[in-house]
Amino acid sequence: MPSNLNAFDIISFSPGFDLSGLFEENDRKKEVRFTSRQPASTIISKLRDIAKRLKLKIDKKDGGLLKMEGLKEGRKGVLSIDAEIFEVTPNFHLVEVKKSSGDTLEFQKIMKQDMRPALKDIVWTWQGEQQQQEQQDLQPSHVPQLQVVSPPQDS
Amino acid sequence: MVQFLEGVKHLCAAVLNCCDADLYKQPRGLEDPEALARETVFSVSEIEALYELFKKISSAVIDDGLINKEEFQLALFKTNKKESLFADRVFDLFDTKHNGILDFEEFARALSVFHPNAPIDDKIDFSFQLYDLKQQGFIERQEVKQMVVATLAESGMNLSDDVIESIIDKTFEEADTKHDGKIDKEEWRSLVLRHPSLLKNMTLQYLKDITTTFPSFVFHSQVDDT
Repeated sequence: MPSNLNAFDIISFSPGFDLSGLFEENDRKKEVRFTSRQPASTIISKLRDIAKRLKLKIDKKDGGLLKMEGLKEGRKGVLSIDAEIFEVTPNFHLVEVKKSSGDTLEFQKIMKQDMRPALKDIVWTWQGEQQQQEQQDLQPSHVPQLQVVSPPQDS
Repeated sequence: MVQFLEGVKHLCAAVLNCCDADLYKQPRGLEDPEALARETVFSVSEIEALYELFKKISSAVIDDGLINKEEFQLALFKTNKKESLFADRVFDLFDTKHNGILDFEEFARALSVFHPNAPIDDKIDFSFQLYDLKQQGFIERQEVKQMVVATLAESGMNLSDDVIESIIDKTFEEADTKHDGKIDKEEWRSLVLRHPSLLKNMTLQYLKDITTTFPSFVFHSQVDDT
């Protein structure tokens, strides 16, 4: 179960409250966040898929935390990435993806080249960027048992 | 003999002071690192390293040895075009002399609270004051809503008013144990002790490594060792 965010959790995600900017160069960020309108189970299985494709070992911990680990030693040891899912509402989640060990540049490369493109269809917005797609919920939301809700697709 | 030397020393000091005042319009500079080290959790070396960071930030727009609001925003967001309710709040809390600018003393004292070794009570106090937008000694529901809405807007997230209200409802249910519609310092303290992640922004691991991030401090060091 992903942990539930209270109002102060949300507030603490504001970049204005994060003084690490005083020490970090803008392009040396070790974490990124995005929002998603998908249920947690969809987000988790998406992350699992990506991990498998990138040949990362994935380990699901309690409370919506997924730990992913590279199999090869990089410049500063093995690259480990944590993805933590926070629930705002059952269909609105905030996901924080951060480097937990290894080289920051490698982390950024894997984010930019592999993860971001792969996450595209579940991401609503990336933190710090305006909402990019006018994406209405293309995926069917929670469909009850046996009903076929969508109209028949013939023509 | 000793008196003679003393006299020479005084004479030299007087001459140097005189030249100093006229030729160099220096900012106050790092006057007493030991005193600041005593009054914060920083060691003297850390204070000196912190001063290197301060110099970098304070010279970005106006090279006057002081950080103004624009320089602060620039340092935080790498752009001075970004207005932020929160950065404003943080700046105001740093600015204990209430003169719209930060000198090194204010900078160091405030950052001391963010050090991993700073007492948790200091972090609890600081964060409470941060969220107490109107500085009334308690955090009102309206203030919480304002901050939530501002954060969501900053991140390009859009939630309906209903959803926001229900999140705040849940938060107050848990936090407002006295049921008076506001969160006082005590209630804040209990909430934070139950949810330590709420204080995560109050600790900057970078401060522990500051002497390695700004090693040039050794060239300007005014102290012998440690």
